[in-house]
Amino acid sequence: MDAASVYYLGVTVILFLVFAAIVARVYSGKRKAKGEEPKYRMMEDEKPHEANGKGGRDVRRK
Amino acid sequence: MNQQEGYADDIVKGFIIWSMVWGLVAVLVGVLISFQIAFPQLNLPPYLTYGRLRPIHTNAGIFGWGIGSFMAFFIYITQRLTRTPLWSPGLARVQLWLFNVVIALAAVTLALGMNRSKEYAELEWPVAILVVVLWVIFSVNIVMTIVKRREEQMYISLWYILATLVGVAVLYLVNNAAIPVSLTKSYSAYAGANDANVQWWYGHNAVAMVLTTPPLAIFYYFLPKTTGVPIYSHRMGVIAFWSLIFMYLWTGAHHLLWAPVPDWVQTLAMGFSVMLIAPSWAAVFNGYFSMNGQWHQMRDNYLVKFLIFGITFYGMQTLQGPSQAVRTFSAFIHFTDWVPGHVHMGTLGWVSLVLFAAIYYTVPKVYQTEIYSIPLANLHFWLALTGQLIFSISMWIAGVQQAAMLNATNPDGSLHYSFMETLIELYPYWHMRAAGGLIYLAGLAFFLYNIFKTITGGKARAAAQRA
Repeated sequence: MDAASVYYLGVTVILFLVFAAIVARVYSGKRKAKGEEPKYRMMEDEKPHEANGKGGRDVRRK
Repeated sequence: MNQQEGYADDIVKGFIIWSMVWGLVAVLVGVLISFQIAFPQLNLPPYLTYGRLRPIHTNAGIFGWGIGSFMAFFIYITQRLTRTPLWSPGLARVQLWLFNVVIALAAVTLALGMNRSKEYAELEWPVAILVVVLWVIFSVNIVMTIVKRREEQMYISLWYILATLVGVAVLYLVNNAAIPVSLTKSYSAYAGANDANVQWWYGHNAVAMVLTTPPLAIFYYFLPKTTGVPIYSHRMGVIAFWSLIFMYLWTGAHHLLWAPVPDWVQTLAMGFSVMLIAPSWAAVFNGYFSMNGQWHQMRDNYLVKFLIFGITFYGMQTLQGPSQAVRTFSAFIHFTDWVPGHVHMGTLGWVSLVLFAAIYYTVPKVYQTEIYSIPLANLHFWLALTGQLIFSISMWIAGVQQAAMLNATNPDGSLHYSFMETLIELYPYWHMRAAGGLIYLAGLAFFLYNIFKTITGGKARAAAQRA
C-alpha cells in the first residue's frame, strides 16, 4: 500500500468516524428534548424582537 | 425594509418578482423548443435554433427561476429562523440587480453562441466571474445574519442553506477553472476523461446543491408553517442532512458509466447513488409523518397539496435516479428521451411545486394582504400536475421504445433499426410532450395572474391605510 492509498484510507476512516459521532450525538437520549426544540421555536418566528428588544435566546457575545 | 415586522422583506419581494419573470422565460422557451423538436421547420437559424435556445431554457430555469427564488426564500427564512434582520439590506439590493444583469447576460451570450459546451456551466468566463461575485455577496450576507443570530440552535433549513452556499461555491469554482483565449472564448483547465469527470462531479452536484438542498430548506420551513404543525422529527432531519452531505459528492461519475473513466470511480458513484435513497427518503418520511392527523388539509389547504405532491415527486425522483445510476439500467436508457422525463419530474414536479407553495404563502405575508383567488391557485395546481405528468410519462415511454429500438439486433449482430427509424417513431411522443408543456404554461399563466392581483391588491390596501 503506497502513501496515497494510506492517506485516502485515513481520510475515509476519519470521515466515517465524524459521521458516526454526529449520529451518536444527535440521537443521544440526553439531547432528545434539545434536539427537537428548534422545530417548536420556528413556529413562532414572525417577529425578530420581543418586548425586551431581543428575539429568542441571545447567543451573541456581550 | 419592512419596518412593521423588522425584517428586510422588500428585497424578498424583488427576488420573488424577478424569479417569476425568469421562470416565465424558461417555460416559454421550453415550450418553444419542445415544438421545435416536434416540428423541425420551427428552427430559425442562427439564433432561434434548438441548439441556441436549449441552454437558455436550462439557465433561465435553473438559475433565473430556481436560484432567484432560493435567494428570496433564503433571505426570508434566514431572518425568521435567526430572529435577526438581514445583515446588510443594501448588499442584498446590489445582489438583486447583479443577479438580473447576470441572467440577462447569460441569455444574450448564449443566444450569440458563446458557450463553454459544459452542461449547466455554459457561461463564458466574464459572466462566470460575475456569478462568483454574486454568490460571494449572497453568501456573506446570509452567513453574517446566521452568525449574529438570536437563536442558539439552528433549525434544519439553516443547515441546508449553509450547505448550498458552500457547495455551490466549491463546485462552481472548480468546474469553471478555464484558460481564456479571448473575451468570449476559454478552454477548460482540465483535459479528456479528467475534464468529463470534473464536469459531471459538478453537473450532478448542481442537482444536489441547487435542485435538492435549497428546496429541502424551503420545504422544511413552509410545510410546518402551512399546516400549523411542527415537523415530525428534527433529529431525523439533521441525520438525513449529514447523510446526504456525506454521500452526494461521490455520485457524479454515474453520468459516465461505460465511459473511459476508471471502473472503480464508476462503481463508487453507483454505490453512493443507491445509498442516497436512505437520506432522501428520510426527508420524504419526515414530510409524510408530519401530516399525521393532518391529511384532511390535502383537501382544505391548497398550499399543502403543492408541498406534499412536491415531496412525493422528490421521493419518486430519488428512487428513479439511483435506478438510472445502476450500470445495466443506465446502458439501456442513457442517451434516450427517458432522461428529460426524469429531469422534468424533478424540476416541474418537485422543485417548482415547492416554490409555488412558498410564493403563495410568502407574497400575502410580505404585502400584508390575502391571496387573490384560492380557486385559481387550485386550478394552477391541477394544470401544473397534469402538464408535468404528460411530459414525464410520454418521455419515459418514448425512452423505453427508443432504447429497445437502438438495442435491437439481427441474428448476425447487426443493428435491426437505423437511427432515423428510431427518431421517426418518437414524433407522437414529442407532440404529447409539447401539449404537456402548453398545459403547464397555462397553469403558470394563472399563477402569475393570481400573484399579480395579490400584489396589486396588497398595494391598494396599504395605500388606503396610509390615506
